[in-house]
Amino acid sequence: MMTSMEMAQFPILTAILMSTIVGMLVILFIPGDRTKLIKQVSLSFAGLGLILCLWLYYAYDVQKGGLQFVERYLWVESLGIYYFNAVDGINLPMLLLTSIVLFTGVWTMWDLELRVKEFFALTYLLVAGVYGVFMSMDLFWIFVWYDVSLFPMYPLIAIWGGTRKEYGAMKLTLYLLAGSALILPGILYLWAQGGGQTFDLFELQAMGFSPLVQKVAFIMLYLGFGILAAAWPFHTWSPVGHVAAPTAVSMIHAGVLMKLGAYGILRLGMTLCPEGLAYWADLMALLATIGIVYGAFVGLAQTDLKYVIGYSSVSHMGMVGLGLSTMTVNGINGAVFQMFAHGVMTALFFSAVGYIYDRTHTKMIPDLGGLSKTMPVASSFFIVAAFAGIGVPCMASFWAELLVFISAVKTYPVRGIFALLGLVVSALFMLRVVQKTFYGEKNERWAHIPDVPLFLATPRIILVGVIIFFGLFPKLMLDVIQSAVVPFVSSL
Amino acid sequence: MMKWVLFVPELFYVSMALVFFLFSLRKKVEQKLLYNTAVILGAVGLVVTVAFARQHGMLFFDAYRVDLFSQVFKVFLALGTFWVIFACSELRGVNPRQHSEFFMLISICTLGMMMLVSSAELLTIYISIELSSYALYLLVPMRRISGDLYVETGIKYFMIGVTASAFMIFGISFIFGVTKSTYVADIARVLPTVISEPAAIIGLILALCGFFFKQALFPFHSWAPDVYQGAANQVTTYIATASKMAAAAMVIRFVGFSGGESSLLVQLLITLSIVSMTFGNLVAIIQKDLKRLLAYSSIAHAGYMLIGILCLSERGFSSAVYYAMAYLVMNFAVFLVIIMVAEDGRNLQIKELAGLHKRSPILALTLMLGLFGLAGIPPTVGFTGKFLVFAAALEKGYLLLVIIGMINATISLYYYLIVIKAAYLLEPVNPYPPVRVDGRARAMSMVLIVAMVYLGLFPDRFVALTEAAARSLP
Repeated sequence: MMTSMEMAQFPILTAILMSTIVGMLVILFIPGDRTKLIKQVSLSFAGLGLILCLWLYYAYDVQKGGLQFVERYLWVESLGIYYFNAVDGINLPMLLLTSIVLFTGVWTMWDLELRVKEFFALTYLLVAGVYGVFMSMDLFWIFVWYDVSLFPMYPLIAIWGGTRKEYGAMKLTLYLLAGSALILPGILYLWAQGGGQTFDLFELQAMGFSPLVQKVAFIMLYLGFGILAAAWPFHTWSPVGHVAAPTAVSMIHAGVLMKLGAYGILRLGMTLCPEGLAYWADLMALLATIGIVYGAFVGLAQTDLKYVIGYSSVSHMGMVGLGLSTMTVNGINGAVFQMFAHGVMTALFFSAVGYIYDRTHTKMIPDLGGLSKTMPVASSFFIVAAFAGIGVPCMASFWAELLVFISAVKTYPVRGIFALLGLVVSALFMLRVVQKTFYGEKNERWAHIPDVPLFLATPRIILVGVIIFFGLFPKLMLDVIQSAVVPFVSSL
Repeated sequence: MMKWVLFVPELFYVSMALVFFLFSLRKKVEQKLLYNTAVILGAVGLVVTVAFARQHGMLFFDAYRVDLFSQVFKVFLALGTFWVIFACSELRGVNPRQHSEFFMLISICTLGMMMLVSSAELLTIYISIELSSYALYLLVPMRRISGDLYVETGIKYFMIGVTASAFMIFGISFIFGVTKSTYVADIARVLPTVISEPAAIIGLILALCGFFFKQALFPFHSWAPDVYQGAANQVTTYIATASKMAAAAMVIRFVGFSGGESSLLVQLLITLSIVSMTFGNLVAIIQKDLKRLLAYSSIAHAGYMLIGILCLSERGFSSAVYYAMAYLVMNFAVFLVIIMVAEDGRNLQIKELAGLHKRSPILALTLMLGLFGLAGIPPTVGFTGKFLVFAAALEKGYLLLVIIGMINATISLYYYLIVIKAAYLLEPVNPYPPVRVDGRARAMSMVLIVAMVYLGLFPDRFVALTEAAARSLP
């Protein structure tokens, strides 16, 4: 699988991980009153991560496929824990997504005044966890990083949040850790069934568990990670948490953290328990379809911009689940692409709303109205994100949703058609929100508010650029994803 | 004569107790001198114990067994004692006239526990456990602070403790009756063959009661909340760390030598563990007093630790040892914060922690890591402990037990988060005085923070150590 040559190269994955941990430590040692410096340092570490991830994406050999940039060392001998990092076509887009969202997220928080040092330190801790989950190929480390990415959410929301922040923070934390209460037994169960020798994902995969073990383990992993992926009916923490969180945290959370759930299902559940997947796929598709339709309809009734995005996330993450449950190349391709596209899109959504909310101090749709006349640039960001959400061609999510629905209708005709209806409804509510918030009568209350200055617009422009770039050149991403998905599906 | 080398750590604590006995005879003792002596002796004790950690052999007609398992626990005990003395500083909350007695009793108690973890004969075990218990019975009511809770606490602790001892000696008599020996080695040989007999099971369970009492496992927990709350902060720290450690060691030894798998015994331990976890965590939710909250959480933690023990496998025992060590470190962290914040030795309400992140960022961080560790959140040592315990349990196929354990960990997170919220989010209603954190406390916090994260992320060597210790069990 790997040669000594590959082992000897520069440990770029560890370097990406360290860019966040070192970043956090550096921030902790800067005096708290030097907020400007803290922000500059944060942005440069995020930029470093972005550059490394871009290079990684560029350097990954699509023709060769498989695991690359492998770093593997024995960590705890008696249990068989390895420090095992590698990338393939599935986690590579996720790492890129994380670095993009972190970079733009840190940038959009430039105006932050309250407890700046702690905010960025905790954000970096969170992102360290996210990077860790995406690059680890050892079950122990996946779980460790997973939890590391969850618990900073509590202070991040409870201190810097908005609407009902303490309730939202506590609900979110307990929900997500209840999820890990199922994941850990699931992981350990597989480990014990595999003879208690190794936590290495691929060694465990090679063992081939009995159907019963796979069924039991898959449902634990699916439910555990499904909570984080906001699978219906475990989604209720998600809109509440999104609404309560500050802008950058919403961006990271909806953009990246929820992807951890779907990624976990794919990476652990589906890789280790293919027969369990086959057994539970029906349920998975059903819950996903309900999620798509339910998210769209509930979104229709919301009057708070952040709730609207929150429910649209539930709907979009349903599409990821639906794509995974088809077990076809196109479906999983689409699901992974959708994770990326949705990540960038919601980050854009939340950063657009973040600016509007910072200036107007409201995110209630009826209070806004006619914003495109007073702040055309800020409005355009939201509108682009809304189009991406609907799946307009030329946007990255168009391709993702197309792939998911093609395979979904083939595999599960009835559910597929219902999900398509859900998409139509979500288009309806997105357009309705856009119309009510940004068009119509000019609202004099907001006439004095300046439009986004170029400095603060830059991160949003980057996000728009990413959406359109991969919308125009989807092959650049799909080839990478496909290099991992094709062998994966043929092994099912 | 060479054999006395094995007994050096214990002898050291005997002489340490004697030194403080001499101090207590004097009418007036310089506070500073007393405290410095205690710190130095505690440090030397730790060094001595570590230096003799690799000894092994038998003493006193084979009634006393020195092996890696016992020596590892002796190091934990010496560490606990040193840490408590080091953290005490001015011993506020303890009657000033009894300070030398305080240190004397702490030394005796440590001596008793050290003897306990090495005892390989039932009567020696009994004597050791009583020696340490009596010291604690005297330490608990030594508090002098407004209100007279401490008298009630002392009596309650004494009564329940004596009852547990009675159970224990009754159980020991049963074991003797069945196996015709009081030597653990002989019992271990005979017991597996008779383990299905009711008398053997009853004897074993009754004898275990004594240890369960010390460990505050349900249903022997009722002393814990009152004693935690009623005793001086330093004494509570000692009970929560060192004393728990010795009890855990003995439960491991005792369950370990039952040898053959008695399904009845395992069933019973599973039940106790589940009830203990669930009860402790649920009751902890409503607590307002931080020490009381920790008492209930300690009941829950005794349950987690029992999961590792009831696996009856080497991995299970070693995971329990690791868990005990993790618990020691995490409790040090939390109690250090209590001792420092409650400077006058009062009890600390959760809401009094408000704004701690401003009053003392380092203590707030220590508290947060300690509590996240207790909740089992990585990358802290508490997570690694839980991970090992659950891994051992799943190797035996106790899937449901592990799921219940994890659900309990989630419940516990709720009340730990409430405390963290107080420290980081709440603004104090009336301005509390700034917390005085001197260099010593700062250094201790730093050591604890590093230790908690280091043991959590790099457990390899320590896991190997605990496994070696578990292998040395008879």
